[in-house]
Amino acid sequence: MKSSKENNNFPSKISDPETWVESHGDYLFRYALMRLRNRESAENMVQETFLAALTARNSFSGRSSERTWLVGILKHKIIDQYRKSFREKPISQIQTEEEQTVDQFYDAMENPKGYPKDWMPDPVKVLHSKEFWGIFKGCLGHLPERTASAFSMREMDGMDTDEICKELGISPTNLWVMLHRARLQLRACLEQNWFEKK
Amino acid sequence: MKIPTNWEHETKLPLVTSCKQAARLVSISVERNLSIREFLSMRIHLWMCKTCTRYRNQMKALRNIFLHHEEVLDNVPASVEECLDQQAKEKIKAKLLKKA
Repeated sequence: MKSSKENNNFPSKISDPETWVESHGDYLFRYALMRLRNRESAENMVQETFLAALTARNSFSGRSSERTWLVGILKHKIIDQYRKSFREKPISQIQTEEEQTVDQFYDAMENPKGYPKDWMPDPVKVLHSKEFWGIFKGCLGHLPERTASAFSMREMDGMDTDEICKELGISPTNLWVMLHRARLQLRACLEQNWFEKK
Repeated sequence: MKIPTNWEHETKLPLVTSCKQAARLVSISVERNLSIREFLSMRIHLWMCKTCTRYRNQMKALRNIFLHHEEVLDNVPASVEECLDQQAKEKIKAKLLKKA
């Protein structure tokens, strides 16, 4: 692949790989940590991303920034990681487990246990507060691993049902039950740890 | 009596449904179009039930938080736990150098 391409003047040129870790390492790590919630896995993902980028650096077109390009590689690596974790355990177990978790939020009459509090101030207004963000990440970390993975794909990466099901090899029903559980659990956790204490 | 919890399109859902079912419908409505039956069940319940209306609004808020998360990555400074430690950085640099 080392052709005259390298001599062309691209809109933006790739920097020396030796500088990547210092200039993008922390950003990529935070991005991965948000989605994997585990330092070790996030570190591995960053390393894998840089190694893959090194191999593919001649294909960098310069149409996007170097960071956007690296984030794109990282995204793929993270989805590979999710896929692996979904293969480890038969999917048939998921649904029963998830339905049981949903049940714990309701009494025998199917009424919610506890009246939802008024969320004040609007969470979007406190989003940039370090404290809120810390609690939010903590709550995400309390979700079971695979539920959180499916939820990240849906809410953080904005993927739709078809794409997620194809990647993870699960049915739409599997996915929807997991997403519902994640929402119930996150709601309860945020309320308990943030809104009730304000 | 146990109400069926079918996640695919539902035709036999009672029009007056429980909070648990209503919350489920709110969640499904984010993922796919509801059938007319499902939609009516959800609307009727929300119209009568303050708890679930609040729940529905909180679900919206939750989605909004995620929509803004990349903005947060750019604007809220990372805490120490959100950064690679020096040891990890050196390790990755060494691997890169070896491969280059």
